[in-house]
Amino acid sequence: MSLPIKDVLAAKGITTSGDSLAKLESKWKEFEDLKGSLEGAPLDDFDLALKNTAGGDHHG
Amino acid sequence: MDKDLLKKTVTELSGLIKDKEVSPVEVTQNLLNYIDQSNKDTNSYISVTADSAMARAKEAEQEITSGNYKGVFHGVPIALKDNIYFENEVTTMASKIHKDFVSKDDATVTARLRDAGAVFTGKLNMHEYAWGIDNDNPHFGAVHNPWNPEKVPGGSSGGSGAAVASHSTYSSLGTDTAGSIRIPSSACGIVGLKPTHGRVSKYGIFPLAWTLDHVGPMSKSVADAAAMLTAIAGFDGRDPTCANVPVNDYLSGLNGNVKGLKIGVNEEYFFKDVDGPVEKLIRDRIADLEKQGAIVTTVSIPSLRNAEWVELATSLSEASAIHHSDMQTRPDDFGADIRFLFELGELFTAVDYLQAQQARRQLKLEFTAALQEVDVLIAPTLPFISPNIGDDKVNINGKQVDFIENCIRFTGPSNLTGLPAMTVPAGVVGNMPVGLQIIGRAFDEARVLNVGLAVEEMKPLGDHQPMLAP
Repeated sequence: MSLPIKDVLAAKGITTSGDSLAKLESKWKEFEDLKGSLEGAPLDDFDLALKNTAGGDHHG
Repeated sequence: MDKDLLKKTVTELSGLIKDKEVSPVEVTQNLLNYIDQSNKDTNSYISVTADSAMARAKEAEQEITSGNYKGVFHGVPIALKDNIYFENEVTTMASKIHKDFVSKDDATVTARLRDAGAVFTGKLNMHEYAWGIDNDNPHFGAVHNPWNPEKVPGGSSGGSGAAVASHSTYSSLGTDTAGSIRIPSSACGIVGLKPTHGRVSKYGIFPLAWTLDHVGPMSKSVADAAAMLTAIAGFDGRDPTCANVPVNDYLSGLNGNVKGLKIGVNEEYFFKDVDGPVEKLIRDRIADLEKQGAIVTTVSIPSLRNAEWVELATSLSEASAIHHSDMQTRPDDFGADIRFLFELGELFTAVDYLQAQQARRQLKLEFTAALQEVDVLIAPTLPFISPNIGDDKVNINGKQVDFIENCIRFTGPSNLTGLPAMTVPAGVVGNMPVGLQIIGRAFDEARVLNVGLAVEEMKPLGDHQPMLAP
């Protein structure tokens, strides 16, 4: 069960401007539709999307 | 006022300065006089630093007179976007919150141009915190497109676009997180190059979205973009994303020869939902390149179907993280449009963000594979002609669609992949310029610039020029 957008933002300490809530809900719905086939896609066992460079920046 | 002098490119002007046919003082004073007038129409400058510019021009003149000529930018007046730091000067990010911010350091790009002898005439208007496309800034006013002042100049580097197009600066730098160099360059009929991620240091540039941000040239010509890239590129240990790779002299390598060049065209994404006259111009220019000996082939990049969501999830999340504290404590100090975007960015979960990075990696792999088959990809920069200032919808083949989302549709993928991408004017529709986008292999800016020169040499703008020009 998903929380209403207003509650999600309030939990983060964000107050929405007066007329933005309806627009936020509408736009978020568009984003969910846009995500489409990506939702639930299986992960690649060897996925290396994020990296952690030991010893500082600029190595390798 | 010497109008012909104002219209020179950097490479043309630098020859005159080097040969002492004009002096940096004369050039700078002439430009400052013009800015006084032009800025009332374009609103491209947030601040004009006339006194320091004249002082620097006098220094440059003395250096050149005494035989210490430093190169293309020596004594050339330029202005930068107002999210690029100048030591001990105000950088506003075109915001209320940072309106009095003073940096203790130059940005690396500022320092490199300063060392090259450039004369800084001021800081250029932009969308607040670079987080938008229309450049209708609530704190510093809207920037007007020099081709038609009722039209949007594009953004977020709209001040840079309008200043270059109106000849209110000889060249500029913009920043690009989803297209913010290429979009205003396309809309204002100039050249804009987003280099490879890591090619140019971002130290001293206020971030919008760390993994997507780039800085690069916005210029009157391809040669000027090449000269600017040569001046600003190269490793900088202060930027953790900066790559330690060799830098070419991009200007001397230009020849415009495309014989045997393999051009890739991706039909299913980059030519989908493009306004008819824009699509025709881009296809005409590709056909012209083919006549010059280029080989055109279609390429497939299936993961582009995810690109819009991945770009939005990444950019909105990262931008909202940067501004999270101010959104908690002083949200009313943001313009309404970017406050809305920061609220949206707070809604993505960590899982959303990480899934976006996984999809992004897949996109990178597919682009890399496609660019093994071809040398460059060519696409429209924007799928439409700029709307009027204040419009949040734009016309594509008779349909009114969301302006922002369609603005970044063709530019955003190169921020996700980090690949170099440049826009050059491809022609005019209804007296408004249209940009053609060239996407290249990582760190292969030399080839991208060369294809851009081939298009530029077709003189696609003909005799058309901006309404707001000398």
